[in-house]
Amino acid sequence: MSITQNQPEAGSALEPHGKPKRRFGTGRSEFVVVAVLYAVAILLTIGTVTMHVQGKSSPGPQFFPIIVCILLYLVATLLAIQILRSPQIPDNSIHPGHGQFSADMLHDLGHLGKEEAEAFDDAPSKTPAKTWKTYSDWRTVGLMLAGVVAFVALLEPLGWIISATILFWVVAYALGSHRRFFDIGVGLLFSSIIQLAFGAGLGLSLPSGFIGGIL
Amino acid sequence: MEQLELLMGGFASALTPINLLWVLIGALLGTAVGVLPGLGSAMAVALLLPVTFSLEPTAAFIMFAGIYFGGLFGDSTSGILLNTPGHSSAIASTFEGHRMAKSGQAAKALATCAIGAFIGGLIATTLVVFFAPTLVKMATVFGPAEYFALAVFAFLAISAVVSESVIRGIAALGIGLALALVGIDGPSGTARFTLGMPQLFDGISVIVITVGLLALGEVFHIASRIHRDPIATRIETKGRARLNLADFKKALPAWLRGTAFGAPFGLIPAGGAEVPTFLAYGTEKQLAKRRNDPDFGTTGSIHGLAAPEAAANATAGTAMGALLALGLPTSATAAIMLAAFQQYGMQPGPLLFERSGDLVWALLASLFIGLVILVMINIPFASVWAKLLSIPKHYLYAGITVFSMLGVYAVSSAVLDLWLLIAIGLVGFLMRRYNIPLAPVLIAVILGPMAETELRRALAVSEGNLGILIDSPITITLYLVLAAALALSAVQHLRHRASRKV
Repeated sequence: MSITQNQPEAGSALEPHGKPKRRFGTGRSEFVVVAVLYAVAILLTIGTVTMHVQGKSSPGPQFFPIIVCILLYLVATLLAIQILRSPQIPDNSIHPGHGQFSADMLHDLGHLGKEEAEAFDDAPSKTPAKTWKTYSDWRTVGLMLAGVVAFVALLEPLGWIISATILFWVVAYALGSHRRFFDIGVGLLFSSIIQLAFGAGLGLSLPSGFIGGIL
Repeated sequence: MEQLELLMGGFASALTPINLLWVLIGALLGTAVGVLPGLGSAMAVALLLPVTFSLEPTAAFIMFAGIYFGGLFGDSTSGILLNTPGHSSAIASTFEGHRMAKSGQAAKALATCAIGAFIGGLIATTLVVFFAPTLVKMATVFGPAEYFALAVFAFLAISAVVSESVIRGIAALGIGLALALVGIDGPSGTARFTLGMPQLFDGISVIVITVGLLALGEVFHIASRIHRDPIATRIETKGRARLNLADFKKALPAWLRGTAFGAPFGLIPAGGAEVPTFLAYGTEKQLAKRRNDPDFGTTGSIHGLAAPEAAANATAGTAMGALLALGLPTSATAAIMLAAFQQYGMQPGPLLFERSGDLVWALLASLFIGLVILVMINIPFASVWAKLLSIPKHYLYAGITVFSMLGVYAVSSAVLDLWLLIAIGLVGFLMRRYNIPLAPVLIAVILGPMAETELRRALAVSEGNLGILIDSPITITLYLVLAAALALSAVQHLRHRASRKV
């Protein structure tokens, strides 16, 4: 919870699961972010070069994108270097708003000391009984992603009520609900109330799908 | 006292039965979203923003006033009862608040929060009423170079000065600026990065970006950890939240000190209430040491909770002033509010008071009404609100997912926006996973176009001479203050790194 704790760095040998083995990839999965940054930068570069410029204003529409491109290439490269030098290994505690604010700065401003660090220690233990291969639970995230993709694909053909019920059900299932039939009921109720309140009440246009054709 | 007259006019238009109903609905929804763990006031505004678009502007903004403060009233509840602050601005109030709850004073802690939020918000909003015209006058002397300097200041303050890692903060800023570039370029009419799709000519909707990053990204993040993170235990509260006169007298100076810390920070783009809440907490801690207060750090001191709570709301109150008068969003929540104005075709800033004066004063009056309603629904029913914490998480997040889809689709009725929402949601998940701050993205998306327009305008006037950017005392001051803040934060980063190595 750790506004009060320092992030464990690989150098401090603080392995979250107490496993000593460390390969090159450990704590360096953040290269995904570097890849995203480069991808955005390359897309911007292509877009800037191939832009059909209208008008003759100076500085023109390509001026600012060039600055943003340079910024992105620079920051992606710096981030890559930083990940290579000090990989970040996630611990298993909860971090509200972590990364948004410098923990060190807040630490100083709040004159935080041992008491605050201990405040969260009696909360549930930080080392879970079980260990996993990846920090993120990709099965749950994958299920959720499948749910939202299915929702968007089905929204117009099936209509709001049915597709929103499916989405609700999939998310609830992915997040660990065991009452499958009950969940369908809750989802149906939820999406119907939304349809009534926002569709009929506030006049938002929600697709009715094939049911609308039948009724 | 022209302002008082205008404010009375605002009250007159806000105090109709139907508008009172909107404030009440806004306050209820805002508190509910604020209480729910993990959802701060930024998410409350982002999730509920699209829904209000079917209302006429005055009603919508009146409802926003309720949501805006409502999210802040609720967000300490989960910190106090569960020891898991829902939002980073509630961390400082969690330290002493949870101690109070553990020693059987949960109801007192919740009441301290509610009254603290009320006092902080009230004083800050009053300040806004009296100083907004001054700010507007200040803003009218701003030219393109000054606005560009202000934007640069906001960008760097939020991404480099206050964030954990400067590189990650700037990376977030870059992503935001890139997203803001999509669409038709205003001055020249050139289509930029639209991939030839006419749907993208208006740019990527700010609603899609905020809902994707804050709501869907959060749900993905929760999903990635829900089966792995430990479950927090809740402390039960019984009865009404109440505060006796002795406690009230004890807390009053702390509330006022907190407000004094919070109010100025609303005007500085430092990302919201985190810095002032920690400052307020730190001060109370030092004072407790001097007074030999035995409660502080053991059974929980009412001072240590009251000050940060008032600071958080005071920041939110004056942030509204900076937003309305200067058009400068100083926190993620304010950035989303600015997006709401733009959605209605209004640009916050000096001209807003002239062009839509009625609406602005009705909004300010509703902020007062909202605060009164919030204190009325929070103190007697604090334990009812706490019941929201027992909603099973899978239903909560399923509901949020459905609601974010609803919001985005309701605004544009475009399936393309939903695909974009998923993509941005995944980016939001990655950013949470790797501790990359989100606020710089929002600030960049909102202020990016303004920064670009003003920079090009300034350079067009000077015919490409960069000197114009540092040509006036205002810009020089802004850049100097920024440089000093950057230097200070660099020193601090280095100092902590050195002490960690030892």
